[in-house]
Amino acid sequence: MQHYLLKGLRYLLVLPLVCLFVAGAFAQGITVQGKVTDQGGVALPGVTVLLKGTTTAAPTDIDGNYSIAVPGGSGTLVFSYVGFQTLEVPINNRTTVDVQLGSDARALDEVVVVGYGTQKRSDITGSVASVPKNRLSNLPVTDLTQAIQGTTAGLNITQGSSVPGSSGGMRIRGVNSISARTSPFIVVDGSPFFGQMNDINPNDIESIEILKDASAVAIYGTRGSNGVILITTKRGLSGQPRISYSGYTGVEGLSNKLTPMSPDAYVQKFADYQRAQGLTLTQVLPNTFEVENYNAGRVTDWLDEATQTGKITEHNLSITGGTDKVNYYLTGGYLNQDGVVKGYGFQRASIRSNLDATITSFLKAGTSLYFADHNSDGGRANMLNATAMSPYGQVHNDAGGFEIFPMFPELLFANPLLGLTTDRVDRRKLITGTAYTELSPGFAKGLKYRLNASYTYEIGRQAGYTGRAGNNMVGAAYANNNETNNWVLENILTYSKDFDKHHIDFTGLYSAQGTDYFRSGAEANTFINDELSFYNLGAAENRFSTSESNRTNLLSQMGRINYSYDSRYLLTLTARRDGFSAFGANTNKFGLFPSMAVGWNIANEAFMQDVSAVTELKLRFSYGKAGNQALDPNQTATIYNPVRFPFGGASSVGVLAARLGNPDLNWETTTSANIGLDYGFLQNRIRGTVEVYNAKTEDLLLQRQIPNISGYSSVWYNLGEVRNKGVEFTISTANIEAGKFRWETDINFTRNKNEIIELYGDGQDDITNNWFIGRSLGAVFSYNWLGVWQEGDDIPATMNARPGDLRFEDVNGDGRITGDDRMYLGSTLPKWYGGLTNTFHYGNFHLSVFLQTSQGSMKSNPDIFYGDEVGKRNIPAEVGYWTPENRSNEWPSLSYRNPHGYNFARDNSYVRIKDARLSYTVPQDFLERFGISGLTIYTAGRNLYTFTKWVGWDPESTHLPRGSTSGSDSWVNNYPLVRSVSFGLNLTL
Amino acid sequence: MKKYIRLFVCACIGLQALTACDDSFLEEELLNSYSPTNLRDLPGLEASVIGLYNHNSTFHSVSWAQGWVSVWQVGTDIVWPTQPQGMENPYFDYNTLTPLDGAADHTWNWSYTMINNANVIIQNVESPDLTAIADADKNRINAEARFFRGLAYNILATAFGGVPLITEPLTVPRTDFVRAPLAEVNQVILADLQFAAEHLPDIADLPANRHARANKYMANQLLAEVYLRVNQPALAEAQADVVINSGRFNLIKTRYGVKANQPGDPFSDMFIYGNQRRSQGNMEAIWVMEAENPRDVPGGMTDAPQHRRNWGASYHSRAGMLPADSLGGRGISRMRLNNWVLYDLYDAGDMRNSKYNIRREFYYNDPKEQYSNIYKTKVPYEGPDTLFIINPYITKWGHFDPQDVFGYGMWKDFILMRLGETYLLKAEAQFKQGNLAGAAESINELRRRANAPLVSATDITLDFILDERARELIGEENRRLTLMRTGTLVDRATRLNTNIPGLPANRQIQGLTQTHLLLPIPQNEIDLNKDAVIEQNPGYIR
Repeated sequence: MQHYLLKGLRYLLVLPLVCLFVAGAFAQGITVQGKVTDQGGVALPGVTVLLKGTTTAAPTDIDGNYSIAVPGGSGTLVFSYVGFQTLEVPINNRTTVDVQLGSDARALDEVVVVGYGTQKRSDITGSVASVPKNRLSNLPVTDLTQAIQGTTAGLNITQGSSVPGSSGGMRIRGVNSISARTSPFIVVDGSPFFGQMNDINPNDIESIEILKDASAVAIYGTRGSNGVILITTKRGLSGQPRISYSGYTGVEGLSNKLTPMSPDAYVQKFADYQRAQGLTLTQVLPNTFEVENYNAGRVTDWLDEATQTGKITEHNLSITGGTDKVNYYLTGGYLNQDGVVKGYGFQRASIRSNLDATITSFLKAGTSLYFADHNSDGGRANMLNATAMSPYGQVHNDAGGFEIFPMFPELLFANPLLGLTTDRVDRRKLITGTAYTELSPGFAKGLKYRLNASYTYEIGRQAGYTGRAGNNMVGAAYANNNETNNWVLENILTYSKDFDKHHIDFTGLYSAQGTDYFRSGAEANTFINDELSFYNLGAAENRFSTSESNRTNLLSQMGRINYSYDSRYLLTLTARRDGFSAFGANTNKFGLFPSMAVGWNIANEAFMQDVSAVTELKLRFSYGKAGNQALDPNQTATIYNPVRFPFGGASSVGVLAARLGNPDLNWETTTSANIGLDYGFLQNRIRGTVEVYNAKTEDLLLQRQIPNISGYSSVWYNLGEVRNKGVEFTISTANIEAGKFRWETDINFTRNKNEIIELYGDGQDDITNNWFIGRSLGAVFSYNWLGVWQEGDDIPATMNARPGDLRFEDVNGDGRITGDDRMYLGSTLPKWYGGLTNTFHYGNFHLSVFLQTSQGSMKSNPDIFYGDEVGKRNIPAEVGYWTPENRSNEWPSLSYRNPHGYNFARDNSYVRIKDARLSYTVPQDFLERFGISGLTIYTAGRNLYTFTKWVGWDPESTHLPRGSTSGSDSWVNNYPLVRSVSFGLNLTL
Repeated sequence: MKKYIRLFVCACIGLQALTACDDSFLEEELLNSYSPTNLRDLPGLEASVIGLYNHNSTFHSVSWAQGWVSVWQVGTDIVWPTQPQGMENPYFDYNTLTPLDGAADHTWNWSYTMINNANVIIQNVESPDLTAIADADKNRINAEARFFRGLAYNILATAFGGVPLITEPLTVPRTDFVRAPLAEVNQVILADLQFAAEHLPDIADLPANRHARANKYMANQLLAEVYLRVNQPALAEAQADVVINSGRFNLIKTRYGVKANQPGDPFSDMFIYGNQRRSQGNMEAIWVMEAENPRDVPGGMTDAPQHRRNWGASYHSRAGMLPADSLGGRGISRMRLNNWVLYDLYDAGDMRNSKYNIRREFYYNDPKEQYSNIYKTKVPYEGPDTLFIINPYITKWGHFDPQDVFGYGMWKDFILMRLGETYLLKAEAQFKQGNLAGAAESINELRRRANAPLVSATDITLDFILDERARELIGEENRRLTLMRTGTLVDRATRLNTNIPGLPANRQIQGLTQTHLLLPIPQNEIDLNKDAVIEQNPGYIR
């Protein structure tokens, strides 16, 4: 598979090369190149170099180098860059023009992508945060969420799993829905993104903007309330073609190993277990195989058996360039990751082609094509089972295969390596094509009409086979295929006009989109032997099949007016109307979401002109509504589900009532207010943003419990309210600028307070679901744990407890521990989170150290209590148990069975050295000898160290107890957090 | 260039036409689920009835709380909890039986789900505008639905007393339910079952592949039990007699079936996989809930029944012992027959206590070399082994799948009603009418088959009849509901199953009072019913 991918990739990369030479043939005149640095001599990447009076432009690369075609051989170059003075330099027949840009604190004409357009940073009234661009290069990560975690105030990313190919969960400004999705809406190059986060190759990204407040997100209507992430991919610029390669390779290991008990401790644990049960110890270990290996002195380190050193490699090749009429950006990438748990792996191959053409003076057109191929194939070892194995378990059987039950006759725990004998494919392919045309009729200056058409086709295939070696004595196979078709058509009309000191922008949208999903699946079992794997399900004795399908449509209108007076007073008004097919049949299916925002550029006022310490000062306020589509297709209908039952050996199909529908169901509405202050002092050596927000979400989609007497346990309603209040601030400082040495610090901080205001309209909590009015979502509701009952303690008979049992607070003082003694202990949502980056430059060396933290949350810890399994499995060495002698006040006795259902929640706050990167920019004069225009080499370490009180694998990662699932996570895929060390280089020809 | 412009204009016009504000664009179509409107014809109604059988099985197949099977047995007069899962704990430590109890909640919810699905069928089939279906079909479908509705209300009435009475499906949620008087609930049960007895087919008229569908004698048998509960013993006896005198069933008195040539007895033959169905020779069976291995037959069983695991001993925990077909597969002994059952219940020679029906002895069966010195020798008792490792156990739920030795589920038929019980119901009805000689004769029918000494009128008491039920039906009957129905739970459990020497304190029956003749109404139901009050049963406090 890998082979074909590479081969295909090679052809696809050759093709653009051909185009490139063709394009090159159009270039005439001379080529000017050079390097752009700041006053300290540090290279400036991303500087726009424009040939004055033309549309020919080129960016500087990571090393500050540029190269631009000058058709006539003469002219003037314009160098512009955010935060620096724009510089115009005549060419004067030179072919090398090196320049130094002076910083200009007031040059705030950085252009930022906003919904359905772009805006100057200084004109923005809403809350729009840009992810620091240095997180988008020289960072060896496989997924975008890893790159941006902790970098932006208001954006909380939780890396629940480190399984290769997995993405972190994203939330912007707290959780504002209970049942509906809480992750932000993703827009790539202006079109809704239908894929998964890991479809996106981080190397393709030019910029990422996070839209947070109502003014910024209201234009996304029913999809805006969770915030919006706008991703812009790189596009071509006119000028000399540039070929760039970037790549890295690295090794991965367990960032923290929760070491199981040693063989001796394990034997002692069994003796203590028997004693705790009041049983006599008749043999040294409970199971036959264990006794055999114990007698033979054979021990196994099961974690060693199940894990390995992971490897990760990525290559990206891009070609960009163009003429003054046509620009192109072509790139291909390939990523290969072999996980730290045996059998886990991920491969991604992707190709992007972005093309823009100016066809006539009034017509522009372009395309963005993207193809991604994912592969997570391979049977996998089971890490939880590896941690549970007895050190005296038996790895292999006499025939050399894996022993199915290493602790035989204990059948509860199978060999963690069995998965390696299974066949498994898990693949996805995503094709996205977007085309636009833009019409700027000459008769109406400032008027533009743009038509976007986008289509995304996504297919997935999962198949697997477990045979005799994998503990299926008859052989079982499955094969699932799914496909989703998405289309979007958008008509966008914009009008822009300046008169006197007034500036007006208008944006209007009329759009439609549709999604069509179909999945089919088949399972089969009882094969003659294991030869056919999943390639012929028809060869099985028993076969079962399933399919499912749904469709949705969305119809929208949107209008926005931006008005500014003298770049001092700013006003934004927006409204969007969304109609969604999944809204209930009794509704009119359309929701309206208005917003307003005002801004005041204080720094532009005349009275501030003399206050030289203040470079930038802008006050913003916004208020408005956004929605959450909330409903899944067909969620409003009363439905009956097919069921089966056998009669006379044959299965009959029946139906059972499955859900009482509610045709009144609608979207959720979030109304929010935001006050923001953008500041910059001392020529912007200190700059940042402070924001305060208050968002209330109403009409929450809630599955309200009803008496089962009605025949149903629940009905969906729009009920309840939740509020998120918060403070965010960012501060970026240039601490030291001394010759070749510079030190910069970036800090971001977010405090969010989540609160349920109302649930069912009756003021009642919902204990079953852990929802408490006045408390945060993600409530941890359990007993107040005080310690462990000791021998000699005066244990009241009503407590029903023995020495070694956990001791809880009897809150209501009735002498018993009952459900009424449970209390709100905290929330799984952090109280605050943030990031701290320190960047040091010395000449061509750059070092950046990034710390990320999440504080004030708690969650159940599955690795400190194992119930009755404790006598049958190994447990972490760090986790102890009570005995009458050690009188532990932390760990219960081995006979403790948790009769009250205590959840073992513990604080999972942490501070993590998320990454450290050291890079070296090879000097230009050295490179010129080899005809290379830029080279950076770097090394990076990720997840280097974590400071936490958590006992377990990792405070952030999700580790589920045996047999349980949570969303798409399953205990089968428990996976340790990975520490990686990589080496990479970026090369530009 | 004009060409481009023309193309462009066409594209724009095309777009507007496509997305014009057409109402149908936002109309939703249900693609992969049935809605109520497409189930009102004969195939739809037939499928709805199949749904009731599926749901009925979920009362027996619970595995999400493995202690569910034990809930109905522990804390009564016949077994001890030895390795409880947790759900059954309040059913021997009665101090902890509260309105938050999981088993009471599930019993309640299961019943009302059955009632709602039956109500939908009954309403549809009785709708006057349903003219496309013949009356005979309507009555048959109606009778099946009413049988299951009667069954569900009978469980509710026995377990909880008077409960909210719902006889029509709801279209909108309600939160104003109140408990109906028990008599009213009983009226509905009796009317439903009488309709069912009249309109359900005779089992003799059913083909083999419909033997597991409802037949009229199931309704008669259930009616007999209901009449006993509502203290109308004469009517109960009449219903039992309909079954006994139908000539459709007889007690199994001779060897038969797949293991007829192997050691065994007629009683044990009935419970062997492959022998349990009428078509397999079990002429004693009135209602068999058939099960198939879901690996072989899609939907062969709902969930994974835990009976074998809960009733069977955990003998495989002893080194030198392997799970085996001859031992009934792998058990974990969540409960153990108490000493009263093992040592006092049966007369000598009673077939129902034979080694084929209660296994008491074990021989090492692991042929591995290291066990060669003990292989095939008798397993001695040592330590706590008699509590859950090599404790005696009933063989009725034995089941072994060589392809799945661990066997989380048990894919074996359930004999839910058989003629043996009909005689016991009749005996109880006769006793209640003072016909002790008749009752003795009914019981002697069973004792003759079991080679047990015959009894006479002077032996007959309600306790004797309940003893005989244990002898005949142990492991089959829902012992708790029987003792609740007869009001004997407290007396019998206290007399026969408390203060057991050698049983750990936390496995002893504690706190059992008359309160426990009814289960607590689930607190959740009381709380969610915010517009009216559902009274809690006396003695239960939240």
